[in-house]
Amino acid sequence: MMKKTPAAAIAALGLGVVLAAAACSSGGSSSNAGGNGGNSSSSTSPVTLTFWTNATPGPGLTFFQNAVKSFDAAHPGVTIKMQAIQNEDYDGKLQTALASNSTPDIFFQRGGGKMLAMVNANQVAPLTLTAADQANISAAALAGETLNGKVYAIPMDQQPEGFYYSKNLFKQAGITSTPTTIPELEADVGKLRAIGVAPIAVGAKDAWPAAHWYYNFALRECSQATMNAAATSLKFTDPCWTKAGNDLTAFLKINPFQTGFLTTAAQVGAGSSAGLVANHKAGMELMGAWDPGTIASLTPNQKPLPDLGWFPFPSVPGGAGDPSAMMGGIDGYSVSPNAPKEAFEFLEYLVTTPEQEAYATAFITLPVNKAAQSVVTDSVSISALQALNKAAYTMQFLDTQYGENVGNALNAAVVNLMAGKGTPASIVSAATEAAAKG
Amino acid sequence: MSDTVRTAAVGRIRRGALHVGDAAHAASPTPRPRKRRGRVRLRLEIALLTGPAIIVFVGLVIFPVALAAYYGFYKWQGYGPPTDWVGLGNYKVIFTDPTFQQALEHNGLIVVLSLVIQGPLAIGLALLLNQKIRGRALIRVLIFVPYVISEVIVGTGFSLMLQDTGALNDALHNIGLGFLATDWLANPNIALWTLMAIITWKYIGFAVILMLAGLQSIPDELSEAARIDGASYWQVQRHITLPLLGPTIRIWAFLSIIGSLQLFDLVYIIWGQYISGVAGTSTMATYMALNGRLAGNYGYGSAVAVVMFLISLIVALCYQRFVLHRDLRGAVTQGVN
Repeated sequence: MMKKTPAAAIAALGLGVVLAAAACSSGGSSSNAGGNGGNSSSSTSPVTLTFWTNATPGPGLTFFQNAVKSFDAAHPGVTIKMQAIQNEDYDGKLQTALASNSTPDIFFQRGGGKMLAMVNANQVAPLTLTAADQANISAAALAGETLNGKVYAIPMDQQPEGFYYSKNLFKQAGITSTPTTIPELEADVGKLRAIGVAPIAVGAKDAWPAAHWYYNFALRECSQATMNAAATSLKFTDPCWTKAGNDLTAFLKINPFQTGFLTTAAQVGAGSSAGLVANHKAGMELMGAWDPGTIASLTPNQKPLPDLGWFPFPSVPGGAGDPSAMMGGIDGYSVSPNAPKEAFEFLEYLVTTPEQEAYATAFITLPVNKAAQSVVTDSVSISALQALNKAAYTMQFLDTQYGENVGNALNAAVVNLMAGKGTPASIVSAATEAAAKG
Repeated sequence: MSDTVRTAAVGRIRRGALHVGDAAHAASPTPRPRKRRGRVRLRLEIALLTGPAIIVFVGLVIFPVALAAYYGFYKWQGYGPPTDWVGLGNYKVIFTDPTFQQALEHNGLIVVLSLVIQGPLAIGLALLLNQKIRGRALIRVLIFVPYVISEVIVGTGFSLMLQDTGALNDALHNIGLGFLATDWLANPNIALWTLMAIITWKYIGFAVILMLAGLQSIPDELSEAARIDGASYWQVQRHITLPLLGPTIRIWAFLSIIGSLQLFDLVYIIWGQYISGVAGTSTMATYMALNGRLAGNYGYGSAVAVVMFLISLIVALCYQRFVLHRDLRGAVTQGVN
């Protein structure tokens, strides 16, 4: 008995160690196999591609499932494994994959400073576009995915920002035409308040919807050159940045937002800013082109809001920015440096006219392929599209454009300003302080 | 009278503690002369029994802490291996950042307020629920239910109810107390108290269950004897129950302090990613999430994690050394006698 026990114990301990080692090594080898398989494959041998998207269940995800299916069918031997990741979880998960060299072959790309960081770390492949690709993709959208003359992502759609408003409430308040200048907007705020609704809804709990107010004021106050220069220098010394803060402070003085806007979310529930517009509790909100879809999901009958209208951010008297310039986001997809060439071919396939038409219908958005823009038929999206086509230039949302670190600091600083805890100058200094942390 | 009772009670604790100590003492591998084979066997047994736990602990606790310490010396965005060595630069920024100091202050307040509010409340409820009263089982369940509900659900529920146009303000208006309606979440003068109310509601059940268990391990003979000697109900509670509940209270306080220092989920869900700082409810953990994860500064975030770890460690060690030592004597140290 005395002799047996240690032997059994050693055996058990040994087994445990072996098992643990096996578990570790198998984990490692499987991820290696994925990477190597990607490298060494050619078009004749079977290829498996991994593909990450942030599309949520519904028409959007169905679009990608269908696209994968038809691409696989047209390319024998190619299998695309798609994984849909919840939008707010996406960045953390991608970051982990990038850090552990298990990057998916094709992945959703937010662009801006985030893409720059990936480019600097050689984590994303430069793409060589054919003439056909260039014909399919609008030049403005492609410019947003280009760094130092190289394209690093294929854009799918454009999401220009503007005001989504209730035509009925505007009529009720006696507003005959949508505001084109900030003083006009301020006058409309007063009229809307008089009929007992929140003039403007904003979901400041999520910070970015509040920060977009500052970004749009900056778009009007700063010239395109100043804004582009800030993307590389990350210095906000030009007086236009403080002027934009002053504009916002002055605008806040008239109390344009719903009560409790600091703890209002942007897109979740009837109490969110989109929900307030959807239920005629607020006159309008400043939001990207995805808003009609969000509002539709929050109306009492979950159908699109019938009286929804759209107008661009009003002009600011004396600003250096072009009054037609627009701010917006671009959803794109990148390819990992180790990915087989079929990964890029899939992206080329996604920007062909039929796919873009299906994409625009599924996501209720504005496709980058101009030939596919004919499927945009609802009046709200058409007005946004017309403004976009007329815009002198477009600027990415600044929290994307200036990277996670500075973008995050700007978002937080604008929220502080809106809460009455900061000054226009503190927005500028927040960006400088952020540089010390990253 | 009450003095004799107290001595008896204290005497009992001492004896109990000594007893535990002796048991631990006997089981620990003291360098007593023994036969070699016996020693090998003992070592093997220890290795076998502690091995899995040590592997898990090292792999999931020590290793990540060491990694965080390593990353904390770099400016690192999370892409590829860290290269931008900044030494103690991140730590310098942390300790000079006013928003971190505010978060630390909030953490301190939450620690103190949790102890001051929840402690007496939990003891009172436990004493009440230790009586034979009608519906005792139901009340016990009701008090414990909030603790079982996931933090995410609690957070989402309260954030909806406490909004300006939420259920609470609506109810206040409807019962004619409209003047009490306020901005429960965003007003910096109120938000921390709102948070304390939610924390108390959420975690009081756990404290009550602990105290109840402690109460039930106190032999009835002691209070019976005291009552025969003429002690009133309150005298019994003050001089018998409370001292004997001491070890339970100290352990609960320890758990509460550590929980308060690391508070994250409720704040993050109710106040979102950015508003907690403005509302005065930010904690070290939400600061870490905002400036590490959301800003993409994984090096800086790791440094914040290390600071949090060290603060918690120091508090825990001090608490063990100065408060818990009488409960743990013999169990963690050895060779006192």
